[in-house]
Amino acid sequence: MSRCLLLAGMVTCLFAIPAVAMADEEVTVGELVDFSQELAGTDAVVEGELVGDYGFRDDGWMWTQLNGDSYVHEPIREGGSPAGANTGIGVRMPTDLVEHLDPPGGYRNRGPVVRLTGVWKYHDPERQGESYLEVSSLVVIESGRGLDEQADWRLVGVGALLLAVAAVTWVLRPSE
Amino acid sequence: MLIRPVAEDFRVIAFYLGRIFLVVAAAGLLPLTWAAVSGEWSPFGSFLVMVGIFTLLGVVGVRLAPQESKLTWSHGMVVVALTWLIVPVIGAIPLFLSGHFGRPIDALFDAVSGLTTTGLSLLSDVDHLASSLNFWRHFLQFLGGQGIILAALTIFAGTGGITLYFGEARDERILPSVTSTARFIWAVSVVHLVFGVTALGLVGWLVLGFDVDRALFHGLMTFFAGFDTGGFSPQSTSIGYYHSAIFEGVTSLLMVAGAMSFGLHYALWRGPRRTVFANLETRTILSTFGFTMVLTILGLAATGLFTTVAGLTRQGFFQLLSAHTGTGFSTVPSAELAGWGGLAFGGMAIAMALGGMGSSTAGGVKSLRIGLTIKTVVNQIRQVLLPEHAVVGTAYHQSGRKHLTPNLTQSVMIISLLYVALYLLGAGIGLAYGIPLQEALFESVSASANVGLSVGVTDPSMPMLLELVYMLQMWAGRLEFVAVFSLLGFFYSWVRGK
Repeated sequence: MSRCLLLAGMVTCLFAIPAVAMADEEVTVGELVDFSQELAGTDAVVEGELVGDYGFRDDGWMWTQLNGDSYVHEPIREGGSPAGANTGIGVRMPTDLVEHLDPPGGYRNRGPVVRLTGVWKYHDPERQGESYLEVSSLVVIESGRGLDEQADWRLVGVGALLLAVAAVTWVLRPSE
Repeated sequence: MLIRPVAEDFRVIAFYLGRIFLVVAAAGLLPLTWAAVSGEWSPFGSFLVMVGIFTLLGVVGVRLAPQESKLTWSHGMVVVALTWLIVPVIGAIPLFLSGHFGRPIDALFDAVSGLTTTGLSLLSDVDHLASSLNFWRHFLQFLGGQGIILAALTIFAGTGGITLYFGEARDERILPSVTSTARFIWAVSVVHLVFGVTALGLVGWLVLGFDVDRALFHGLMTFFAGFDTGGFSPQSTSIGYYHSAIFEGVTSLLMVAGAMSFGLHYALWRGPRRTVFANLETRTILSTFGFTMVLTILGLAATGLFTTVAGLTRQGFFQLLSAHTGTGFSTVPSAELAGWGGLAFGGMAIAMALGGMGSSTAGGVKSLRIGLTIKTVVNQIRQVLLPEHAVVGTAYHQSGRKHLTPNLTQSVMIISLLYVALYLLGAGIGLAYGIPLQEALFESVSASANVGLSVGVTDPSMPMLLELVYMLQMWAGRLEFVAVFSLLGFFYSWVRGK
């Protein structure tokens, strides 16, 4: 009986070890950028905002960029502070994953914030050394939304005034 | 005895500056129109302020000056140096008002970087920047690469053109008059613009799957930054954003075209084409590119980062071409570039320091100077080895047969040494702030040679002194020192002259 239990335990361990090793690892975009070589081949779960363009290619993949910086939750146009360059990675996903996705982030809108699961392809030999996340599943955490355009009409007034002064100067002081 | 400049000198300088500001004001109408058409009303106001200031300064300069006086060599150099100082200051206004910069000096840094076609940036969150502001950043690179003065010369023919032309670091006049040379340069650029934007736009639309308008936008921005070896990009991941070998290929062609001297463009357009490969400059740049390519590829192979020859070649070639042409595009992040030690670092740093061809949009020491320096050294060695009375030939081929005179040798050596001093200046300041030698040297060379590749030192949190030094390096490196020294001499004469 005890031998049977021992054997059952060993078999369980044999299956359990790879299960642990293959568990998806939660990482940030910044970690994928800074430790890209160490995380090569990792099954990663990463959150961020989709920005730029959705590039639908003929091979059935869609390419875009995933940002994981402070601007995801505090866009500059909504009062966020300038905190340096963006932190982003390239991602590609099957086109059927991206149906009904809000437009990607840009000047006019904050893109959808998503949780992506996929394999971190570091200098992928099949794509001549490109690095990117190959996505297998996508969950929308926060929908995209429009960012308000607030024109400063005082600036328009100042600019118009400067041009008017220039015109008056041109008219009143003809060159000798 | 130093002669103190008089009021007439200042009025002449103001007159020519005024003309140039009016040209820049006209150029500013493009981003203004872009903002209006795309309904970006926040940037629209800031562009209007910028255009208003340029126009007012231009009108005051032109109207209050007595008359179109003859421009001396000294006046011309001062005009050029001041143009390249004042235009970024006013051009930075829309950038700062966008809210994407923490400090006004950071916006000025980007304007200087744009105009000098460097490409280093302190802009925060470029991925959410208004398209009109992105256009302005990239258009600044186009204006700077072509030469603002050149734009003015194309419009205002007149006395003093030759001084202004040479002041903007151009050392050959392709056609008999400066005006016709300026127009030829613009013709070459417009043809490249049409073909470049069309090719990149088609790749973006048909291969990358972008919407047509976005494909054209990316094509236009990449053309400005590629052909003018600037290196700005509308997305934070630079050319790596596109994940496309075809896009990189077209961009590479534009970078090569931008790093070629306009004299070489002329030879390719109107012949005789066989002289192109006889030129000392062409042979030098092909040799230095080959040499640094071998270094970089061997270095990268040693790191084990790439597991296939295709990956190693594609990534290594693109980064190195970007470095040697002084563009600054990349397909790998700064964090990874910083880890390229050993030979790969050496290859990239040497390529950046050497730069492209003279009279091109590229920076660095320039290939002709490298070629002439090597020829001088070889001649010296041959002179020592040959019998005492033997005469060593000094001829070289550069758009015809020329001779290496002592004056030319001296000029080449001085400018080359000044570049080395400039590289060391920024590296020294960086070291003083505790930045590791490799990174301090890489970033300093990148700024001085107007490249724009970064290993992460250029950041909004960087010390202000270092930021100022990088701006000085970009300015002096772009103007190749002569106009800078003339400006310093002018002010010194003003203070100490009699």
